[in-house]
Amino acid sequence: MITREQAVATTLQDVAWADKNYLIVDDFVGVRQLLRESLRNLGARNIDQASSGGEAMGLLGRIRYDVVLCDYNLGDGKNGQQVLEEARERNLLNPSSVWLMVSAEKSTESVMGAAEHQPDAYLIKPITEGVLLTRLNRVWHKKQVFRPIDEAYAQKDYLRAARLCDDEIAREGGRVHRIDLLRMKARLMEKSGQPAKAREAYDAVLAEREYQWARAGLAKIRMANGELEQARQLFQGVIAENRYYIDAYDQLALAYQQMGQVEEACSVLERAARLSPNSVPRQRHFGQVCLKLGNIGMAEKAFRKCIAIGEYSYVRNADAYLGLARVCGLKNDPKEALLLLGLAQREFPTDDVRLRAKITEGMVYHESGDYRRARKAGDELEQMLETSPQRPDTATCLEMATLLFAVGVKEAPAELLCYVVRNNHDNPLLHDEVQQLFEKARMGEEGLLLIRAAKKEATDLMNQGVLLWKTGKLDEAIAWMRNARAALPNNLRILFNAAQILVSAMQQHGYKIMLADEAIEVLMHVDRIHPGQQRFAQLMEQLALLAPEAPPVAPAEAETDAAEP
Amino acid sequence: MDDTPHAHDLFVFLASTAHDMKNSISVMAGTLEGLLDGAPAATGDQPMAPMEQMAQMLYQTRRLNDNLMQLLALYKDVGTPAYPLDIALTDVAQLGQQVAAGNRVLLAARAIALDIVITPGLCWHLDEDLVIGVVNHAINNATRYTHDRIRLSISEHEGMLEVRVEDNGAGFPPALLAAGATAGRARAVDFGANSAGPGLYFATEVVRMHTHRGACGAVRLENGGLLGGGCVVLRLP
Repeated sequence: MITREQAVATTLQDVAWADKNYLIVDDFVGVRQLLRESLRNLGARNIDQASSGGEAMGLLGRIRYDVVLCDYNLGDGKNGQQVLEEARERNLLNPSSVWLMVSAEKSTESVMGAAEHQPDAYLIKPITEGVLLTRLNRVWHKKQVFRPIDEAYAQKDYLRAARLCDDEIAREGGRVHRIDLLRMKARLMEKSGQPAKAREAYDAVLAEREYQWARAGLAKIRMANGELEQARQLFQGVIAENRYYIDAYDQLALAYQQMGQVEEACSVLERAARLSPNSVPRQRHFGQVCLKLGNIGMAEKAFRKCIAIGEYSYVRNADAYLGLARVCGLKNDPKEALLLLGLAQREFPTDDVRLRAKITEGMVYHESGDYRRARKAGDELEQMLETSPQRPDTATCLEMATLLFAVGVKEAPAELLCYVVRNNHDNPLLHDEVQQLFEKARMGEEGLLLIRAAKKEATDLMNQGVLLWKTGKLDEAIAWMRNARAALPNNLRILFNAAQILVSAMQQHGYKIMLADEAIEVLMHVDRIHPGQQRFAQLMEQLALLAPEAPPVAPAEAETDAAEP
Repeated sequence: MDDTPHAHDLFVFLASTAHDMKNSISVMAGTLEGLLDGAPAATGDQPMAPMEQMAQMLYQTRRLNDNLMQLLALYKDVGTPAYPLDIALTDVAQLGQQVAAGNRVLLAARAIALDIVITPGLCWHLDEDLVIGVVNHAINNATRYTHDRIRLSISEHEGMLEVRVEDNGAGFPPALLAAGATAGRARAVDFGANSAGPGLYFATEVVRMHTHRGACGAVRLENGGLLGGGCVVLRLP
């Protein structure tokens, strides 16, 4: 970790640009030569060049670059943004690496994109040597300010990162990074499940200037809080102010969907897709909404576009293939649907995709009236469930149960729904949804009993663990929670309590790397399936304080912060 | 806005053509800068003729680039102003550094001094790329009319950010001053009547996009200032 004094010292010295490793990515040889000349004039000796995204990925895979100058438009193949995304996702960049995205002009996507991976700066051509050096120095100094925050963020210690933001704001007062620090803090508070504090940060920004991202941030908090109408109005206000703020369209569509107004959601997404068509998640979302509305033509177009633009993207997934297969089924073309499902499994060879492809296959046959083949797919799914204890996510479980009921299977889907209830025993909305599936299968009464039993099973498992913990039998409590997790791998309360018990064991008896690793594994799983939980942030912070190299542990608050029964 | 597929295809074609042109301009400007930078410094009274011609070429290249950038920024969506405004809190001194870095070679080749006077620590909410575009264009324009000095000053004035580009030339002709006086109000600038038309129009659009609590920016042309020549004055809320 870098201290404030070191950071200041670096800002006072000139950065040693000569010793760094550089990568230039541009499809135009003249521009590559020009940039290389400029870098040489800055004293740089290690300069590599790539003329395409693919070539750049090859180099990034072998060499750790300090500075990447990457053109956004790279002709056929990956574009600059896709190269950046893949490099970050595959951890091919150091946190200190500088990524400068070069483009001929500023695009809507670059400014309004909700893209998760942002470059450190956008440079607009032509780039003179002087401008290049000025921007490199500026980005470097900003990175120094954000370095401790970014480190805590990377360790998912969001509360510490947020405190570091506060410290920096207090220290630098009216300086240039204040707005960025507030934005970062709001994001951290959202990730820590503390929307009230995120709102404070956005309000502080808005008190100074009307920033659409801050307004949209407030709207997202409203939406998460179930205030859908207020959220809708805020998003529409943002769009009225700036009709190129694309993220607000995507969010507005979500708000409409949650309000049950699917047609409005669809028309908002249609407008967004026209303004900014090259986004995989947007086209996927659009396709799924169209499918829900039964607009086969538009769904097909969206899914095809999604597959086309995702071709070179590292973060694509199988959803568009499965959606397009459904479209083919509805168009009474099961042959084409099967081809797509085969393709999806070749492109994404995972168990999860295999399972979901089989579910889609059953649905396609069922919807096209081929009940014999639908039943056969159902039987195969039942077999897959029998041979593997692994279960997919909740949405896939519900889909699978729906299909199995539809083709006349009873026991396997009922057991699947019980699994869903056990893993979400305190989610009444989901229980209602499950009950409806039972009723559709003419198993209403049986369903009620099954749901009640599943809830009790989960509660008993958890209470026994908490009882062992509260009566001081820590080792037994830890062992008990391990078994509970194995039985209910996605139950949020059980997962949190398991982590809580591990943390409090270490608070009482000292840090043990095995226990710490186990707690981190549990918490990372929670953050994957349910991001943005307050208890996640708190437990991560307590864990970080326990680690030996960290500052002395604060008095163990967790003692009183009891696990909820 | 024209949403037909044809318009979209045309846009994609225009965008990729513009991208290509930008690349060519980058190489031309970069090469010229490299050549000029390596050449012996010009003296005020007797610049060497080939160097002077090269500086003139760099000046023209930059004009070409500025105009293309303005077209792209304002008309990228086939005739519809559609620049994605990207306001951020900006350290104004860094903005000044960027302007200095971008103009150093051309000014040195023409033996023109650039004074930069910026209130230390001043930060402002603005779209840096757009504002730099306007300032660069004003400076590039001033290199043609100034005697030997250009002054960029940025400070806070009556709650607005005031950016002044001044020179010690003969000043703007009256017709241009009149156009500048109306630029803040009327949208229609007479492109035929003055050579600064597109630049002034672009500047007007840029400052107009900067709004805050009901106020929006303005641009005007003056004669006089600290150097006694032409002044381009931007004010941003």
